[in-house]
Amino acid sequence: MNDTSEVRAMLIESATRLFADHVDARLLDAAKRDSWSPELWRIVEAAQLPLVSIAEEAGGAGGSLSDLAAVLLIAGRYAAPIPLAETAIAGWMLASCRLPVESGPLAFGPVHGENVTARQHGAQWSLSGSMRRVPWARIAQRLVVLVSGPAGALVACVDPQQCKVSPGRNLALEPRDDVVLDGVIVAGHLVAPADPGVCHAALRLRGALARSLLMAGALERALELAVRYSTERTQFGRKIGQFQAIQQELARFAGEVAAAVAAALSAAGALERGEDPLLAVASAKIRTAQAAHEGALIAHQVHGAIGVTDEYALHHSTLRLWAWREEFGNETAWAAELGRALAAAGADRLWPLLTKD
Amino acid sequence: MFQQVDFSALELPAPARKLQHEVREFLRAEIAAQAFQPHLGHTEFNAGFTRRVAARGWIGMTWPKRYGGQERSYLERFVVTEEMLAVAAPCAAHWFGDRQTGPSLLRYGTEEQKQRFLPAIARGEYSFALGMSEPNSGSDLASVKTRAERVPNGWRVTGQKVWTSWAHKAHAFFVLCRTAPAAGDRHEGLSQLIVELDAPGVTIRPIRFLDGRHTFNEVFLDNVFVPDAGVVGAIGQGWKQVTSELALERSGPERYMTTFPLFTELMRRLGSAPDARALEMAGKLTARLWSLRRMSLAIAMTLDPGPDGADGAPKATVDLATEAALVKDMGTFFEREIIDAARLLFEVEPTPDATDTFERYLAETIVCSPVSTIRGGTTQVLRSVIARKLLGPLK
Repeated sequence: MNDTSEVRAMLIESATRLFADHVDARLLDAAKRDSWSPELWRIVEAAQLPLVSIAEEAGGAGGSLSDLAAVLLIAGRYAAPIPLAETAIAGWMLASCRLPVESGPLAFGPVHGENVTARQHGAQWSLSGSMRRVPWARIAQRLVVLVSGPAGALVACVDPQQCKVSPGRNLALEPRDDVVLDGVIVAGHLVAPADPGVCHAALRLRGALARSLLMAGALERALELAVRYSTERTQFGRKIGQFQAIQQELARFAGEVAAAVAAALSAAGALERGEDPLLAVASAKIRTAQAAHEGALIAHQVHGAIGVTDEYALHHSTLRLWAWREEFGNETAWAAELGRALAAAGADRLWPLLTKD
Repeated sequence: MFQQVDFSALELPAPARKLQHEVREFLRAEIAAQAFQPHLGHTEFNAGFTRRVAARGWIGMTWPKRYGGQERSYLERFVVTEEMLAVAAPCAAHWFGDRQTGPSLLRYGTEEQKQRFLPAIARGEYSFALGMSEPNSGSDLASVKTRAERVPNGWRVTGQKVWTSWAHKAHAFFVLCRTAPAAGDRHEGLSQLIVELDAPGVTIRPIRFLDGRHTFNEVFLDNVFVPDAGVVGAIGQGWKQVTSELALERSGPERYMTTFPLFTELMRRLGSAPDARALEMAGKLTARLWSLRRMSLAIAMTLDPGPDGADGAPKATVDLATEAALVKDMGTFFEREIIDAARLLFEVEPTPDATDTFERYLAETIVCSPVSTIRGGTTQVLRSVIARKLLGPLK
């Protein structure tokens, strides 16, 4: 074990303990009513988890993208009802563009590539445009927006109070809000030219990677619940886990979960090393979404009618899986994009591309 | 699953990367010289190719130098294997020796056996086959009926082995047999013997595959004498020796790459501007392959950081047997997804007479498609093993 992996192991241990200690049925039910958990957010922010991968000089914890990946996977496992991924991405946008990294929770947009324009008025900027289904916009302290300025892309740190935010929700009741900016005035020091790495494609990539990691974690939890239930539930005088039919499904489920975890964590590592981001992230999002499809249904099938009530914990994971697999591009969208890149490269480049680790 | 694996650092180290280019160059030259014609489905037996691979030091490459090895890492071996599979290179003449019998000998064999067989395997001059399955022993390997009786200076073996790939070309095979009756624990009393295939009492008959090809055999053993020098490891320890082989080899690229050349030809046939459906299929196949390879690579990197020890003892301290079973299970199904994508994207009536490479690969893979989920542990047995690990003991 080298230093990096030792530090990561400690991070994983402390983050796991933090979520395990605080995320319970009461907190998750409260979040369904309040659309998030401010209580959990305070604890997670105090532990510096949202900005774990932001450089220390920019106000983060100085960790790597893989550190953040490990934390997101754990957050997904506990269905943490907070904008952890969004704050991390918004923080990265701010830090990359040398803007002050605000304390969170943060949201970012646009997530569907919409065009928001910026015009300069003296020392200030005026922003106009609309963005669909921005995750967590209504509870964010700041909205970090990629906009087009007169001389190229800019990143602006916006007060959501100045925007028209229409609440929306995903299947797991997480906020996905429409945001309209109608000449929102932003002070000059909160706007900066976008770093070349901060573009619409990069936001989609990072969003997809984050959803892959969250899904991998949610799948781990769903498998854990299904396995536990199989050892507890008795039918026909036997534990249902003793039936080969159930065993075969659980084994298939375990394969899907392993593939999801492998793909999501590997993609973070690949992005960190500057490898082909499309191959890594598209593969991760496709594979985790496929696993979400298979896994959520196996989890429910194993649980029978017990799993479909809102009293039983499984729905916290499965509703999120069904929501997250569509966000930042589903299997079809990413497969088409990846397929186009492969076709353009040509058949003889297929294997070299796949092995350019 | 995969708790002990660090996916964030899966990168081929520089020596493995260099080797990858060397193998690629070697295979490019072989293909350019038409030194072999790639076929999918059955691994081809090509003694000349095997000797050329051996000359590059790529057989038994993790073994100690004094036994003809190169003392390279398992990860480097992984790289060689996947490059071979990527172009369907004909590896049957060294496959079993390199992958199973060589490592077993290194681990359990006598000094004399190591010196006799390992350098010969590494030179590509000695081929092994595997004598495991029998007419009434498939998944339930411990039920083998072939038996060996003690005689002065050795053993007399009698029984029948089936599905013995390339027995008609190999020099010897490892026979799993009973050396003591199955009383109590039936995993005891099994042993592994080296039987030379030209020994008196050995009869080899072809079993034709469903396409008429001859790669499998049934091997009859009628009172065949095996000297004490042909006993692998300890008498009575055969089960332990055989199952440790299975765990090591379950997750390699051969579990998900055997139809890959069809994918390459599929992309060639699609050209540079495929329709939306084809793009989606290509993207999904790639995502699955990328993910499988990350898992396989992770196991290879976690299990083996370096070459074999002098005694052939595995250095790995991590148990990834369940993870390996998952890779095999998913990998073998992925191989079929390539076949299905190929047939559904194009209207081709498959024929054994196809001359176009894509169409030939398609026909070859379709007829062999049932095999990969049967050999080396059926899907159902694997899933039972995985479930037992997940659930623990249930009363």
